[in-house]
Amino acid sequence: MARLLLGIAIFAWLVVPGDARAEGLLIIANPNLIVATPVPLSQIAAIYLLRVTSWPDGSHIVPVNREAGSRAREEFTQQVLQEDNAGLAIYWNEMHFQGKMPPVVQESEEAMIAFIRNVPGSIGYINGSAPRPDVAPRLDVKVIAYVP
Amino acid sequence: MAGFLALAAAGASADDYQLGHGLDLGPLNIAGYSDLVARFPNRQQKSIDLDDLSLFITGHFNRLFNPFVEAELTNLSLVRWGGVADHDRGDGDFVLERLYNDSYLTDSTTLRLGKMLSPVGEWNEIHAAPLVLSAVRPAVTFRNFSEYATGASVRFADPYSQVPDFQLYFQPTGEFSERPRDITLHQYRSVAGAHVSLPLGLLDKFGVSFQQSKDRFGVDQTLYGGDFHYTLGKLTLQGETTFSDISNNGTRTARDIEWGVYTALSYAVTDNWSLYGWYEGFADRTSPSTAHDLLFGIAYRPQPAMVLRLEYLQNIGGRAVNPTGLTASWAVLF
Repeated sequence: MARLLLGIAIFAWLVVPGDARAEGLLIIANPNLIVATPVPLSQIAAIYLLRVTSWPDGSHIVPVNREAGSRAREEFTQQVLQEDNAGLAIYWNEMHFQGKMPPVVQESEEAMIAFIRNVPGSIGYINGSAPRPDVAPRLDVKVIAYVP
Repeated sequence: MAGFLALAAAGASADDYQLGHGLDLGPLNIAGYSDLVARFPNRQQKSIDLDDLSLFITGHFNRLFNPFVEAELTNLSLVRWGGVADHDRGDGDFVLERLYNDSYLTDSTTLRLGKMLSPVGEWNEIHAAPLVLSAVRPAVTFRNFSEYATGASVRFADPYSQVPDFQLYFQPTGEFSERPRDITLHQYRSVAGAHVSLPLGLLDKFGVSFQQSKDRFGVDQTLYGGDFHYTLGKLTLQGETTFSDISNNGTRTARDIEWGVYTALSYAVTDNWSLYGWYEGFADRTSPSTAHDLLFGIAYRPQPAMVLRLEYLQNIGGRAVNPTGLTASWAVLF
């Protein structure tokens, strides 16, 4: 029985595409952004919690979220922000009233990529596998961190 | 300018609007909140009031230029009936709440110039009805200090919350666009103060406040305060306290100190429903007795930006600051 299960596992590993096997989150930013990579996840969390509002060159940071309920946002919230959704909703409303802009919401991966590509200073995330130096970027955005 | 145009093109359209997020127009965001309140005090006039219709605009341009303005229509009585009419006309006042610019000197230090909310406790800085715990505001969260400062403040907030946040602020002369006397108890001429807040979590904190002020009659006031907010699963505990020492007081008041304390407990029954209650003791400078109030309420939030509340306040001692009776409200952040 154990051999059968092991065989099934190996077969699954071979037939499942690599991207799906190793998929995590790619943290992406506007391609014109000049920043040392990888950006620490603690800094990305501070950006989304509106405690860091400017890039090192002084430009304003525009954080972008996926819509509530999307898988990417759930993963990002759990792994990077490490907070619960209800608390974040209250927190961002309070920050908004105090003059700090909560993350912009984009309701698809395509919309997220288009926004990041076009808006200076923007940062967001998409599902994806770890970037490889031998593979040229295809998205016209800058990958600044990877969350496994 | 290129960033402005790109952001406007990529991110701003009416289709993107979400309740509570405001409307993005390039580097500007236009938002606001409304608060419709029905009051049924036991022995006074009943009313339905538009307590607040507020509009606030946030701008982010670069490190140095980040303006913010908030103006509101407040205290507009829509319907009144029964009981004894009070002195408040309730015909609405237009108020400039805030007008300032933030310059981010570093990632952690901000210079704010203009008219701002004074950081005394937590409630005053997030006082929008959709964001606070109850429709009835505890007296200690606004009544015995200057809610505003027109001048300069320096704010320090560590991006990683490793050390306490602090704010220093200073108002050298009168309040810019001063609120009319029928909606404020005291009009302050000079204000200076500090607030230190120890972050304990995303929403949880412990803070201390200090404020020195002089009002238009020359009365000096020195205030010390504390506030906390702590979450334990579905339970949230929060509270504020202040103690004020009043001097150059003449014969206008009944006592030379003024103090108050409120402590609240709320329980999230579901994601949308919550129960809450608070106790407040408040010793007003004009009254020889100390008011003691209990409030119980239920809130329904169909979404984070909207809340409907029904609550009952019972005065259990002293001359009431908030009247005994039922209050219902509908508040929306838009």
